Amino acid sequence: MSTAAAEHPLGRAEADGIAARARSLTKAYGSGETTVLALDAVDVDIARGRFTTVMGPSGSGKSTLMHCLAGLDTVSAGQVWLGETEITRLRDRDLTRLRRDRIGFMFQSFNLIPTLNAAENITLPMDIAGKKPDEKWLDQVIDTLGLRDRLKHRPSQLSGGQQQRVACARALASRPELIFADEPTGNLDSRAGLEVLGFLREAVDQLGQTVVMVTHDPGAAAHSDLVLFLGDGRIVDRMERPTADAVLERMKRFDTIRAAFDGEGAPVDVHTTEPVDLDKD
Amino acid sequence: MLKATLRSFLAHKGRLVLSALAVILSVAFVAGSLIFSDTVTRTFDRLFASTSADVTVGPKDDELEGQLPTGAVETVPAALAERIAGLDGVADTHVDAAVENITIVDSENESVGPTTGAPTIATNWYITDRSPVELTSGHAPEGPGQALLDADTAKNKDVEIGDTLTVLARPGSFEVEVVGIATFTTTNPGAALVFLDTATAQTELLGDPEAATSISVTAAPGVSDDQLKQRIADELGPRAYEYQTADEQAESAAASLGGFLDVIKYVMLGFAGIATLVGVFLIVNTFSMLIAQRTRELGLLRALGADRRQVRRSVLTEATLLGLVGSTLGLAVGIGMAFGLIELMGVLGMNLSSAEMVIGVGTPIAAYAVGLGVTFVAAYLPARRAAAVSPMAALSDAEIAGVGRPLHLRAVIGGIVGAAGIAALVGCAVSADTGSAASLLGLGVVLTLIATVIAGPLLVRPVIRVLGGAFPALFGSIGRMSQRNALRNPRRTGATAAALMVGIALVAGMSVASASMTKSFDDQIDKTLGADFVVQNQNFMPFPQEVTDRVGDTVGDAGLVVRQRFTPVEVRLPDGERVETTAAAYDSGLDEVANVTYAEGDSAAALADGAIAMDVEFAREHDVTVGSTIPVRFPAGKNAELKVAALTDQDQADGFGTQGGLYFGMETIEKYVPEGQDSALYVNAGSAVGVDDLRANLERTLDEYPQVQVRDQADYKELIRGQIAVLLYLVYALLGLAIVIAVLGVVNTLALSVVERTREIGLLRAIGLARRQLRRMIRLESVVIAVFGAVLGLALGLVWGVCVQQVLALQGMKALAIPWGTVIAVVVGSAFVGVVAALLPALRASRMNVLAAIAHE
Repeated sequence: MSTAAAEHPLGRAEADGIAARARSLTKAYGSGETTVLALDAVDVDIARGRFTTVMGPSGSGKSTLMHCLAGLDTVSAGQVWLGETEITRLRDRDLTRLRRDRIGFMFQSFNLIPTLNAAENITLPMDIAGKKPDEKWLDQVIDTLGLRDRLKHRPSQLSGGQQQRVACARALASRPELIFADEPTGNLDSRAGLEVLGFLREAVDQLGQTVVMVTHDPGAAAHSDLVLFLGDGRIVDRMERPTADAVLERMKRFDTIRAAFDGEGAPVDVHTTEPVDLDKD
Repeated sequence: MLKATLRSFLAHKGRLVLSALAVILSVAFVAGSLIFSDTVTRTFDRLFASTSADVTVGPKDDELEGQLPTGAVETVPAALAERIAGLDGVADTHVDAAVENITIVDSENESVGPTTGAPTIATNWYITDRSPVELTSGHAPEGPGQALLDADTAKNKDVEIGDTLTVLARPGSFEVEVVGIATFTTTNPGAALVFLDTATAQTELLGDPEAATSISVTAAPGVSDDQLKQRIADELGPRAYEYQTADEQAESAAASLGGFLDVIKYVMLGFAGIATLVGVFLIVNTFSMLIAQRTRELGLLRALGADRRQVRRSVLTEATLLGLVGSTLGLAVGIGMAFGLIELMGVLGMNLSSAEMVIGVGTPIAAYAVGLGVTFVAAYLPARRAAAVSPMAALSDAEIAGVGRPLHLRAVIGGIVGAAGIAALVGCAVSADTGSAASLLGLGVVLTLIATVIAGPLLVRPVIRVLGGAFPALFGSIGRMSQRNALRNPRRTGATAAALMVGIALVAGMSVASASMTKSFDDQIDKTLGADFVVQNQNFMPFPQEVTDRVGDTVGDAGLVVRQRFTPVEVRLPDGERVETTAAAYDSGLDEVANVTYAEGDSAAALADGAIAMDVEFAREHDVTVGSTIPVRFPAGKNAELKVAALTDQDQADGFGTQGGLYFGMETIEKYVPEGQDSALYVNAGSAVGVDDLRANLERTLDEYPQVQVRDQADYKELIRGQIAVLLYLVYALLGLAIVIAVLGVVNTLALSVVERTREIGLLRAIGLARRQLRRMIRLESVVIAVFGAVLGLALGLVWGVCVQQVLALQGMKALAIPWGTVIAVVVGSAFVGVVAALLPALRASRMNVLAAIAHE
């Protein structure tokens, strides 16, 4: 992390323990009358070394938030930092490099390049960068994920759970500052899903990684340290040490509110204007 | 269903653009060549029909067509005109004295003749309502020393009234003053025309004031051409002369002009053939890919109740629409192409009018037949595959169909066809008979081509593993991914590369053949040509006696001049076969200027009066032995019995139609072809003067005769090479077209692959692949596909070339030469082609929005 720290207008140089930060993050689609706000001035801090889940009903903007934090999508207004780098200022080339070197990704499906075997997929970001992987770390990751005897297999020869484990290994392999997991268990049966969640948990607890996961599954959210609830483009609630039941209860309230306001087009009244403080532990 | 088809066609129109281009190219070449040749034919038909006399009486056509003319002009007595004029039903007669065996030079000894290969014609001047020209300035030629020149030549060569021209005619050169300019009232076929008065033309051009080349007869009103022809034939004897009505005359005149126009037509049809052949691969590939991508959509159609036939018909309808659009555009492009060619002909001196462009009924029929036929045939297999999609495909998230299907059937069929092709080629290589070797060669070429196309996908893995083997080491994971992407769908890679392969195979084969021909001729010239210099025409046409006389004077008694003449002959051989060929005649000093190896006899015997020599193998084939008497028919119906006195045994190249290597002494040819001209002079310097000095002297002497040149061995080789090079230029033009279409094919495949791999590309970009790296990945894939095609094509073409050489060897061209420079250039060039083809697809991929790519469904 060699990026100059003194550039930020907000001067959050003290941001130890913050892996990523967004301020007034706004993402709008369309223009004029038909403008849709996917993210409406969101402020969020992602704590380092923790497992954060973003939840919310369909269309709440949870995937958009993740894409903006990960430098996959451009923002309409506001700022996003990864560590001390303001990524909202970066050009495509630098964003690409940032994703390659500092972020790990897991997607719901189509996570692996079908022409490469498991080992090649795992080291792909480093190969692209022309860097030598840290063999010791790599061995640790591979063994943790139990992929030792699958390394020469192509994705088509692996089960869905194994594929996600390879994706997880790839995300971990370069020891990124942040791992984004977009519905990593969405396509898996419950056993394989549990396995993957276990690995993400382990990555945080044993390997000290930072994980942000987007999901709609309360059971999956229960594996994380903190759940952020998104509704209509705003962070509307947060829950520490979530349990599946509590999360489910909270999600049900979205449905009730939505049903109550359906047809009137009124914004959900549950939202915070203050930045959610994720620092306290 | 039709509505769904139309929608689908319009929705995919972007992806069909490149297929349409392939259709357009092939249709354009077909339509262009047809329109051009129709226009030319119509123009000249009209010209000859309007300028031919009602009945023309000419010398009896002896039907001996030699490729190398004797230089003699056959005539009829001019007095026939008066005899015919006395007949009932004859309105008018004219004596014609027209020759083409002349050269006309200006005061600087530069030829004023056309450089396009069109003839220079000198003829007698008279005006009828059929004359193709009219006098536009000056006055008609009166007496010796006066001439008219056609306006186009006058303009092109800056000749004005009052200028002096020299006519180099067979009987002798003579000077004329240009006294007038005649302008074409019809299309000028590109010839240069000089008009003399009739007596001068007879004397100076034919060497006989009583001779004519033909008699033009005009019928009286109410007498048909056929009736008149009959009456004249009855009067003069039906077999004494050749009688032609205006129609027949126009036909034969058009036919004799047709040669070089036919060449253009066939070249263009050749291009159309290549474009069509290569286009088929492109279209097959496009439709296969489109169908693979639409598997779910087709499955849905099937699930909703469309039956197989409907699905198949839907795809074929789409192909037909593509064919219709492509044919229509191709026809338009073809018209433009014909227009361009007609204009080009104008630049070359043949003033065709583009306003009179003829688009016959056959042209659009042929255009649509080719366009629709190609697309329909090419789409048939993909359509069958589409029909085989099961309704379940709509529901499953299956991988793109067609990737994993085994290639066993291809292996079996490819193996069988390939084995048959190789057998044919081996048969061709070992065959001793030119005819059967050539047909085996043709069969072998076609079969091996088909086999390679069928088995191409099987070769993808092994060959690309090797070709791209260094990629991972050189380019890391990007190289690895591009190599594996090329291997991913062997059918697709195979079909894409096949387009390039076909063109390159043809070129490689022909390069080997032409390189071998060049080398053989070089070797042969080295081995047999003993003369210091050869004096001859650019194209082996005969030249006047004056040239020989001047050369003889310049060389002097110390040196040696051996004349060579050619004549078409028909020989009746002991085995009963009649062979029409061209025979040569030499002076007795042959051994001094050429190294002839004899199996039996020697030059002295061969060149003796009444003797003939031939190739020993030809003799053996036809049961000829030394001492056999062979009946030989010469032009103008002269017959001789010649005794075989010698058999030659050398690597005789039977080029230029001189099958059998027949030759005899100069005395013999002078006896039977008395008006013949020399075609080449072999000159030795002798001791009196140095070789270099002699050359300078000869060149000075021959300055007035621009039609002949002095060549030493190196120049002579250069001349032969130049003639073979014409073949090469054609080959390179073919390669150019094949490459253009092949590039379209690679672009097409890559573009569709990029669309197919949208999600994969999105993932790569998400995890940090830079745009530049993505472009490189696609470029490398493109290069490896292109080089794969080139390697297959070269392998196939080299095998073909070697077999062609084996056939040529039977004709005496024993040397085999592989043009390694060309081979290397083709491989390097194909890599470049790959880079070019990848430009657009790579750009498109790199512009893809990362999120849209991830979310792609």
